[in-house]
Amino acid sequence: MSARLVIDVSELPHHEFDTYDPVWWGNNFLLAIESSMFAILIATYFYLRQNFAQWPPPLGQLTSSLNPLPDPGYGTANTILLLLSFIPMILVDVSARRGYRAAAQRGLLVCLLCGLGAITLRAFEFSAVKFYWDSNAYGSIVWFMLGMHLLHLITLSCETLLLTVWSFAREFDMKHRVDMVALAVYWYWVVGMWIVLYAIIYFTPRVG
Amino acid sequence: MMNLSQIGIRSFLSGLLLLLASLCVSSCAGIQTSINPAGPQADQISRLWWLMFSVCTGVFVLVMIFTLLAIKRGHGYSQEPTRAPDLDPALSAEQRKRNVVIGAIIVTTLILFVFLIASFKVGRSMTSELANKNGLTIEITGHQWWWEVRYMDPSASNVFTTANEIHIPTGVPVTFSLRANDVIHSFWVPNLSGKKDLIPGKIATIWLQADRPGVYRGQCAEYCGLQHAHMALWIVAEPQEQFDSWRQNQTRTAIQAVTSSEQRGQQVFLSSTCVMCHAVNGTPAGSNFGPNLTHIASRSMIAAATLPNTRDHLVQWVTDSQAIKPGNKMPQNNLSAEDLNALLDYLGSLK
Amino acid sequence: MKQQSKHIKQATVELSTAQLAREKAELERTWARPRGVIGWLTDTDHKGIALRYVVTAFVFFLFGGLEAALMRIQLARAENHFLSPDLYNQVFTVHGTTMMFLFAVPIMTALGIYLVPLMVGSRDVAFPRLNAYGYFVYLTGGILLYTSFFLNIGPDAGWFAYVPLAGPAYSPGKRVDIWAQMITFTEISALCGAIVVIGTVFKMRAPGMSLHRIPLFVWAQLVTSFMIIFAMPAVMLASSFLASDRLIDTHFFNPAEGGDAILYQHMFWFFGHPEVYIIFIPALGFVSSIVITFSRRKIFGYTAMVLALIATGFLGFGLWVHHMFATPLPQMGQGFFTAASMMIAIPSGVQIFCWIATLWGGKLSFKTPLLFVLGFVAIFVLGGLTGVMLASVPLDLQIHDTFFVVAHLHYVLIGGAVFPLFGAFYFWFPKWTGRMLSERAGRWNFWLMFIGFNLVFFPMHQLGLKGMPRRVYTYLPETGWGSLNLLASIGAFILASGVVVFICNVIWARRVGEVAGDNPWSADTLEWSVASPPPNYNFHDLPTVNSRYPLWSRLENSPIVRGLSTVKRETLVTSVLDAQPELRFEIPGPSIWPVLLSIATAIAFIGGIFTPWAFLVGALAAFGVFAGWFFGDPNHENKTARNTGERSKTPLTNKELQPGEV
Repeated sequence: MSARLVIDVSELPHHEFDTYDPVWWGNNFLLAIESSMFAILIATYFYLRQNFAQWPPPLGQLTSSLNPLPDPGYGTANTILLLLSFIPMILVDVSARRGYRAAAQRGLLVCLLCGLGAITLRAFEFSAVKFYWDSNAYGSIVWFMLGMHLLHLITLSCETLLLTVWSFAREFDMKHRVDMVALAVYWYWVVGMWIVLYAIIYFTPRVG
Repeated sequence: MMNLSQIGIRSFLSGLLLLLASLCVSSCAGIQTSINPAGPQADQISRLWWLMFSVCTGVFVLVMIFTLLAIKRGHGYSQEPTRAPDLDPALSAEQRKRNVVIGAIIVTTLILFVFLIASFKVGRSMTSELANKNGLTIEITGHQWWWEVRYMDPSASNVFTTANEIHIPTGVPVTFSLRANDVIHSFWVPNLSGKKDLIPGKIATIWLQADRPGVYRGQCAEYCGLQHAHMALWIVAEPQEQFDSWRQNQTRTAIQAVTSSEQRGQQVFLSSTCVMCHAVNGTPAGSNFGPNLTHIASRSMIAAATLPNTRDHLVQWVTDSQAIKPGNKMPQNNLSAEDLNALLDYLGSLK
Repeated sequence: MKQQSKHIKQATVELSTAQLAREKAELERTWARPRGVIGWLTDTDHKGIALRYVVTAFVFFLFGGLEAALMRIQLARAENHFLSPDLYNQVFTVHGTTMMFLFAVPIMTALGIYLVPLMVGSRDVAFPRLNAYGYFVYLTGGILLYTSFFLNIGPDAGWFAYVPLAGPAYSPGKRVDIWAQMITFTEISALCGAIVVIGTVFKMRAPGMSLHRIPLFVWAQLVTSFMIIFAMPAVMLASSFLASDRLIDTHFFNPAEGGDAILYQHMFWFFGHPEVYIIFIPALGFVSSIVITFSRRKIFGYTAMVLALIATGFLGFGLWVHHMFATPLPQMGQGFFTAASMMIAIPSGVQIFCWIATLWGGKLSFKTPLLFVLGFVAIFVLGGLTGVMLASVPLDLQIHDTFFVVAHLHYVLIGGAVFPLFGAFYFWFPKWTGRMLSERAGRWNFWLMFIGFNLVFFPMHQLGLKGMPRRVYTYLPETGWGSLNLLASIGAFILASGVVVFICNVIWARRVGEVAGDNPWSADTLEWSVASPPPNYNFHDLPTVNSRYPLWSRLENSPIVRGLSTVKRETLVTSVLDAQPELRFEIPGPSIWPVLLSIATAIAFIGGIFTPWAFLVGALAAFGVFAGWFFGDPNHENKTARNTGERSKTPLTNKELQPGEV
């Protein structure tokens, strides 16, 4: 081999935020999978609704005067909490990009607390649904929706926990800063998905 | 080598065409055949089939001819793969090809539109509106693995239940209301019309009409478990008078046991496990879990159109139905020879 | 790109032999694959994983074929007692499940995992550990299914597992639970594969390989992967609903409590129809590669082909209801699905026409792969035409769920996917093993399969028209179906003998086959520019491309990429649209975590059949594994950077021509 035309890439960085990094794409495609999963879940919710004269169904013959709608209290509290969690998560997002380690650490800690709070509130939300999963198809689908979202809250909190520990125990390196930005995307997605589910579970039965 | 394969392809394709041709000729017989129509719907569908079949055969033959021609043209070259690849084919030839390809796509689209319109037309003529013209409604309930048949009538005393053998008058549309209590089945009598699924929790409606008298076999077309293969039915199309007299007979309660053997048989029937599942109208036996036996002797088949209704077959069926239809819900019966004989006398009397 | 372009310089350099040899030794060391059992569990090399997929999927193909043979023996004559109805139902369920989930989808993904990185000019896939995890999960699913089958508790509710037959009331026992969890395993695996392929195609392409230069094979894999992402969640949910109906008494499909049996069918076929395209679109990629190579000319209508692939991908999601025309559905909806089902014939037609146009006036080199492609054209066109018939509601009502459909689906799937796949085996086997398969045996292989196939499945059209329903374990002699069934059964053994010839050919070729060299077919794509089998690092220097057919258009004039590390596993990441260099991306090395994660997955889903608590245990185990994955891998980036510094990069020596932007 003699003279070859080459391009020299030795000065290229190893990591970069957003569309540059394959991790960002991988993360977003996982979210695309989960989005189509939730889309089908929501479609199922409305499909099953067609089978019911009243949705949610009455609580039983004797108690038909009682309101079968889920109590929105805990759900609303959870929504507010998750919306507020945007603030620390945006802090994490921005400081990861700019390289502010201390701010990112603080943001991650607050987010972790928000995540744990949301999980706790979710436990109460299940009790606010006036049916069990094995009562009828309504109970099954609502529990499933809440449960699948809970699964994401748990995964999200675990991921936050790992990154928090890393940010304190190890280096604030580019690779993990990219991970933090990906975590932020996931966080926004989980909260956004919750807004949709919240509206569907608590409010669509009241209209129509 | 290359000539060999070329000849091979050619001879094979001509074989394929022969097979296609044989298809046209040989499937026009039989009592469970969709292209041997005996009613207006099956007739319309089979016309649609022949339209699509002939057009598609034409398309297939054309595509094959072009493929073979392309191969033939390409064969003049050496087999060595080292020749320079052609990255800049002559523009004029490419444009000619482009026009042909675009033309082929347009033709394809046109053919599809013809199919679409033909299909809509046939579909429209098959909707169930027509059925309301006629009073006869038959309710079919699919069970694992037999068909419960209930002839509806405004007068309750004329409603009766039978199984697996459906008599209909020729020349008039009959409405079928389809339901299932256990799993999904599908009601299908190919000579008369397409199939319709019986789905638990839903009611489906179709109508059928037989234009000429005859026996048409139907079979469950949705996999429904162990004995899906042996879940058939017969539709007996007969002239109106004949149908009326059949119907008249079916609305009656069961014939009284006359001979001593028949009476003993009735006792055996009523005192054994038979009554747990089967009904004989006019006796205390009234369970609907299995087929209604009030007029079993008038039916030509047993076990969901699996066996001809002969005494021998009944013996086999009553004593050990699991050997015939493994997994069916009928238990084995250990009856003494006399009891069995009497039971069969009794069943045989239930015309 | 704009941001990074300042980092890239173009130059002409002299590379001494000694220097290249040193780099080669370093690359060999850096990309060495671990050996032994532990090595097998930790290896993440995309070629290794892909070949495992190929071998495993092929073994399942043989199992599925044996089951088919059992069914053909049983159906060879009326009222045969070779198989009991229970066993027959297990056999046809496991046959369908195996062929769809354990053979067709994984093997198509496998070829993508092997070839996509090589075709786009990368050292590995984007997410090698995810890739390895996908394989282990798939293997678990396959072992689960076959363990239950060999214990005679195989699923028996059909590969579609319609409720209520598959529900708790009519399928007691664990059979259907095993089916449902196996679905979960294979779907997770397919989703992993899809993300890996998309990530690789989007971000790992050689500089210069902009969208309009991506090989059609890679386009096909990309479209398939997107279809997987949107289709598979439906069946995962359907099987989860089914499992939870069975295990924790939910009522999704129980009409008595407001559930719905048709809902299951919608969910299943929303996945099930795209599934057909997921299986067959990659095969279109094989066909394009083979047609281009053996007609030795550029493809006719590249843009039309790409658009046809994408159109098929979209339309594939609009057809599912044509599997449900016999259910009580509103008339109007059916019209839409009829139209969509017919229209999908147009993109398929476009591709067939373009291939014929490519062959037309090409200089054909008549080797076995091309033979399989021609067999594909004949069979697939026929299957496509019967597909158009099935799109018509009235006609469908007569032939739906009959042997006509059995014939149709095998014409489409065997003709559309298996024939191209065997063509692909003959085509890429030299790349995988360094040796050629025998041409002579290849011809026998082809003709036995082609004749056998048509003998088995052509008579089934007629059987369907004569009223023979699917999934029956036997039939009465009076039906007159005996002779055609016998013909089909004879054909099955001819088909099988073709497969046996293939296996013998592979065994023979592995030992004494002709040595292939880098590019035995003088093909055009980048995988043929490296040794056969390729080195672990794929490319010594990553290539750049300047054409759709890089090896046919003077690749040597195109610059090579220098400046990647030889002591770290680095590859180049480029931009999505125009493939401009962006990052030196570090590829993780061997890792034990994927296999551990797959064990956690197995605990959750296999254990979940017996107790819901298994999910908790599995989830905790998974968290442990993730923590290990996250902290356990050495932070080699910083370590190696400290240790080796600049020496690690393939250096750019002397004589810089003109520094500047590329």
